[in-house]
Amino acid sequence: MAIYPDPTALSGGPATTAAGPTPADVAQADADVEVALESLGQWQLAWRRFRKHRMAMVGLGFFVFMVLVAIFGPIIVPYDPLNIPGSTIPGGMPPSLAHPFGTDNDGRDVFAMVVNGARISVAIGGISMLIAGIVGVGVGAIAGYFGGWVDNVLMRVVDTFFAIPLLFVILVAARFFGEGQVTSLILIFGLLSWPIIARLVRASFLSLRESDFVEAARAVGVKDARITFRHILPNAIGPVIVAMTLIMASNIVLEAFVSYLNFGISPDQTSWGNALANAQSALGLGNWWWAFFPGMAIAITVMAINFVGDGLRDALDPRTRL
Amino acid sequence: MGTPPPPDVLLDVRDLRTYFRVMDGTVPAVDGVSFQVHRGETLGVVGESGCGKSVTALTIMRLIETPPGEIVGGEVWFNGRDILTLSSDEMLQVRGAEMAMIFQEPMTSLNPVLTIGDQIAEAVVAHKKVGHKAAWDRAIEMLQLVGIPEAQRRVKQHPHELSGGMRQRVMIALALSCDPKLLIADEPTTALDVTIQAQILELIRRVQEETGTALLLITHDLGVVAETVQRVVVMYAGKVVETGTVDEVLQDPKHPYTEGLLASIPSQGLRGTRLNVIRGSIPNPFRMPVGCRFAPRCPYAFDPCRDHEPPLEGPGDGDRRVACWLHSRPPFGIEHRPRYGTSTATALAQRTAGVAS
Amino acid sequence: MTQYIVRRVIQAIPVLFLISVVSFVLMMQAPGGPAAQFNQNPHISPAQINKWLADWCLVRQPTVMDTVREYLGWLGVWNCTGGSFLSAHGLPNFLPAFLGGGTNGILHGDFGYSIETGQPVLQMILARLPATLILMGTAFVLWATIAILAGVLAAVKRYSFFDQSVTFVSYVFYSLPTFWLGLILIFIFGVTLRWFPVQGIVNVRNTPAPFATSAYWAAFAANPLPYLYDIGAHLVLPVVTLIAVSIAGDSRFVRSAMLDSLHQDYVRTARAKGISERQVIVRHAFRNAMLPILTNLALEIAFLFSGAIVTETVFSWPGMGRLYYDGVNARDYFLLMGILLIGSVLVVVMNLVADIAYAIADPRIRYD
Ligand SMILES: Nc1ncnc2c1ncn2[C@@H]1O[C@H](COP(=O)(O)OP(=O)(O)OP(=O)(O)O)[C@@H](O)[C@H]1O
Ligand SMILES: [Mg+2]
Repeated sequence: MAIYPDPTALSGGPATTAAGPTPADVAQADADVEVALESLGQWQLAWRRFRKHRMAMVGLGFFVFMVLVAIFGPIIVPYDPLNIPGSTIPGGMPPSLAHPFGTDNDGRDVFAMVVNGARISVAIGGISMLIAGIVGVGVGAIAGYFGGWVDNVLMRVVDTFFAIPLLFVILVAARFFGEGQVTSLILIFGLLSWPIIARLVRASFLSLRESDFVEAARAVGVKDARITFRHILPNAIGPVIVAMTLIMASNIVLEAFVSYLNFGISPDQTSWGNALANAQSALGLGNWWWAFFPGMAIAITVMAINFVGDGLRDALDPRTRL
Repeated sequence: MGTPPPPDVLLDVRDLRTYFRVMDGTVPAVDGVSFQVHRGETLGVVGESGCGKSVTALTIMRLIETPPGEIVGGEVWFNGRDILTLSSDEMLQVRGAEMAMIFQEPMTSLNPVLTIGDQIAEAVVAHKKVGHKAAWDRAIEMLQLVGIPEAQRRVKQHPHELSGGMRQRVMIALALSCDPKLLIADEPTTALDVTIQAQILELIRRVQEETGTALLLITHDLGVVAETVQRVVVMYAGKVVETGTVDEVLQDPKHPYTEGLLASIPSQGLRGTRLNVIRGSIPNPFRMPVGCRFAPRCPYAFDPCRDHEPPLEGPGDGDRRVACWLHSRPPFGIEHRPRYGTSTATALAQRTAGVAS
Repeated sequence: MTQYIVRRVIQAIPVLFLISVVSFVLMMQAPGGPAAQFNQNPHISPAQINKWLADWCLVRQPTVMDTVREYLGWLGVWNCTGGSFLSAHGLPNFLPAFLGGGTNGILHGDFGYSIETGQPVLQMILARLPATLILMGTAFVLWATIAILAGVLAAVKRYSFFDQSVTFVSYVFYSLPTFWLGLILIFIFGVTLRWFPVQGIVNVRNTPAPFATSAYWAAFAANPLPYLYDIGAHLVLPVVTLIAVSIAGDSRFVRSAMLDSLHQDYVRTARAKGISERQVIVRHAFRNAMLPILTNLALEIAFLFSGAIVTETVFSWPGMGRLYYDGVNARDYFLLMGILLIGSVLVVVMNLVADIAYAIADPRIRYD
C-alpha cells in the first residue's frame, strides 16, 4: 500500500543546468544504485549472503577438502588398505608415527582406510543425493502441475514412504538387492530418499500456483508448462537444495550403518562403514582407534555438509533479503 | 535528565531514536522524533509506508524487540515520568493499563487458540486485580461497548470465527478494557474493507469520546486525518517534517513533502486519473541522505538541502513547526538560493522570502 | 471435528494398503523367495512345510499371477487352499473367521510362519514387543521432554550463552552417526569406566529365566525392585544413543518453531496487554508453537523405529529391531513382512493420533 512507489516516473527528468544536479538526477543516481543491487541476480546475492555465514564457509572448505581426498587420496596415501602385511596383532596396533590412526586386526592401516573410504562414502552420498533430487523434483512437479487425482495418488505414495521406517526397507534392499555393489547401493539410497523433496516441490507449487506473478504470467498467455519451469520451479529451488544437503549427509551415515552390519559394500572394497564393520569387537579390548577415526571422518564430513546446508538455508531464503 | 512536561501534556516524546541493527547495517527507523499528546486529545501521525510510524508507536509502548531494535536515545514522558527509564517490571504496570495499542492486522493480532473472552479477561485480571468471573463480565461489557452483537455468545468464540472487522472491534475492546489514558491506534483500518473502515473509525471516535482517552492515530490516509484528529505530525524517513493543527497542515502545508502527500489524494470526480505523486521512493535506510532526507525527491531542493539537515522550527508561534530550509534561516555561510520552476514553487519561494532574508 | 477425524482415517486407508503392497513386493521379489527358503529348513517336517506352502499360495518359481495370488493370500482376501475369493464356508474370504471368512492372512491376524523357527510370526513379534516398548517409550518421553525444554529455553533466551551452547551441542550431536555414538558410549562407559552394562536388557546371570518369559514376569512380580534396577541400568546407554541425535535435531526445530511463534502479531498483542513475560511465553507463544512441534514429533516416530534397529543391533537389545535384523540375515520373509507392516501401521496410527490431538489443540481445524 505504498502511496508513491513509481520509480518509472524517474526517467525523462528535466535537463541538467549549470547550478548543479536536478532533483531528478539525484533520484536517478539513487535509482541506479537500486538497479545495480537488483541486477546482481538471485545467485550472486545468495552467494554474498552465504559468504557471510562463517560456519557455512568452514563447512564448505572442509567438504571441498573431503572431495579432493576422495579423488586424489588413494593415489597419495602410501598404504594399500587391502594389502595385509604379515604381522597381525589381535585388535591392531595403537596410533604411532608410521600408522597415525593405528592398525586393525589384520594389520591394515586405519588412516589408509579412512582416506580410501572417502571415495565410496562421498560418492554414495553425493550421487544418491542427485538421484533423490531429480526424482523428487520430477514427482513433486508432476503432482503439483497436474493436481487432481494424479496429485492424490502420488501424495499417497509419498505418505507411504513417510510411514514405513526407512531403515527397515534399506536393510532389506541392501541385503537382498544390493549384492555389495556400490552402484546398487547408490540406487537404493537415491530411490528411497526422494519423497521429502517431492513434498517440498509440490508445496511450493500449491502456494505459487495462485500467486500474483504466476497469475500475471498466465494472463499474458504464457503456457502452463513454461510457467512450471520458468516461474515455479526456480522458486522452489531454495528448500530443495537445503533438503538435498540433508539427504547427502544422512545417506553417508546410512551407508556407514548398512556396511557396519555387513549388508552394504562388499568387504573387498573400502568405505567408512566397512572400516567400522568389525570394530565393535576391538572396543572390548580397549582398542578405540579402529572405531574412532572412521567414525570421526563420517561425523566431521556430515557436520560440514550440515553447516553448508544451514548457510544455504539462510542464503536462499527470500525472507532474509535486505 | 530532562524536566517533566506540564501536567496537561499526557505524552511528550523528545528526540526519540530507535535503530535496527541488521545484517547489512543499521536502519535509523526513528531518528529524532519529537511531539506531544495532550490529555483527551487526538493526534494524527501520517507518512508513507516505512517512514517509521509503527516503530515510533512500538517504542512508546516499549515493545521494540532487542536485538535487532534498540532505543538509542530520547525521552518518552508519559503521565509525568520518563517511561524509557522504567524497569521492564514497572513497564508491565503501564502497558495495557495506562496506555494500550491497536494494531494494523486484525487477522493475526489475536491468539488463534484462545477464546476472545480469555484474551480480554487476561488483561483485566492482570491490571484490575479482580477475579476471573469479574474479568469475564468485563469482557462481555467491553464487547457490547464496541458494538459486537450477541456478546454473551461471541465471548466464547475463537478469533477465526469472527470477520476482520469484528476482530478489530475485539482489539479495541481489549485495548480499552483497562481504561487506558492513551490509546495508540496503528493504522487500525488499513487491512479492512472500505465500508468496514468507516464503521471502525466511527467506533474509535465514539469510544474515545465516551472514555475520554487520548488517541494517537497512525495512518497514511489524510482523509481519516481530516475527519478524526485535532493535530497532525507528518513523518518522513524517521523524522518529523511538519506538525500543526489539522487545519493548518491540511490547508496550508509548508513542507514540500506534505504538499506532495496532499496532492496525491484523489479528488472527487477525478478518480481514475493519474495522481500527482511524489517522484521516486523513500531513501535506502542504509544510505540516508546527509542533508534533508527529502531532498533527493524534492522539486524545490537547493544546495543547503543536500548538505545540511533543516531543524524542526516554528515559522511563527504556537505548535506549528516545519523542518525545511525554505522556511528556516540557513546556517551561516551557506548560500541561500532556491531554484524553482513551477508556479507552486514560485509561491512558496515568495512566501519563504520573508522568513529567509 | 468428527468429520475431520473420519476424513483423516479414510486418507490413511490407501496408505495402509500401499504399505502392505510395498512390504510384500519388497520381500517376495527378493532372490530366492520363501518357498525355496522353507524347503531348505531342516528343522521343520516336510509335511508341515507342504501345508504352509499350500496355505499361503507359495510356489517355487512363481509367475506374475502366482505372485498376485500370494499377495492376496497373505492379505487374507484370497483363499489359497480353496483357490477362490470365498472361504471354506462359501462366504467372502476377507470376512472375520467368526463371520464365516478365512483364517490365513494378515486381515485375520495371521502373519504366517517364521522360516527360521517355524513359530507363528505374530507370536514371535509379540514376545519381542515388551523390550522394544520399554526402550522406545523411555526414549520418547525423555526425547520429547528434553528437546522441548531445551528448544523453548534457547528461543526465549535467544543469543544467550545457553542458546549458543544448545546450538553448538546440537550441531555436534546432530552430525554423529547413531550407531557409532553407541560404539563410543560402549567404549567409554561400558568398557573403560564399567558404569553400565552394554548388552541385552537384563543380566542373564541374575534372572531365573530369559526376559519376557512368564517365569521372568513371575519373579519380577514377586520382587520388582532389583529387576527394575537391572533393566534401568541396561537402558541407559541404548536410550542415550537412541535419543541424542534426535534431540539435537528436534531442539533446533522446537527453537525455530518457538522463535516463529514469538514473532507473531498475537504475541505482540499479548505483550501490549502488560501481562508478565512468563504468561506471554507460556500461554501465547508456547501454546501456538506446540502445534508444529506436535506434528513434527509424530512424524519422527518413524525415525524412532529406525533408530530402534540401530540401537538394538549395537546393544543386542532383544526387541523387534534386533528380531528384524536377524530376520534379514536369515531371509525370514514372513517375519520381515510382519514387522515391516506392524511397524508402519503403528506409525500411521500414531500420526493419526497426533493429528487428532492437533485438531483438539487447534480450534481452527474443527471447521475446515
Ligand atoms: N524488526 C525490524 N528489523 C529491521 N528493520 C525494521 C524492523 N522493524 C521496522 N524496521 C524498519 O524500520 C522502518 C520503519 O518501519 P515502520 O514499520 O515503522 O514503518 P511504517 O511507517 O509503520 O510503515 P507502514 O505504513 O508500512 O506500516 C522500515 O524501514 C523498516 O524496514
Ligand atoms: Mg506500520
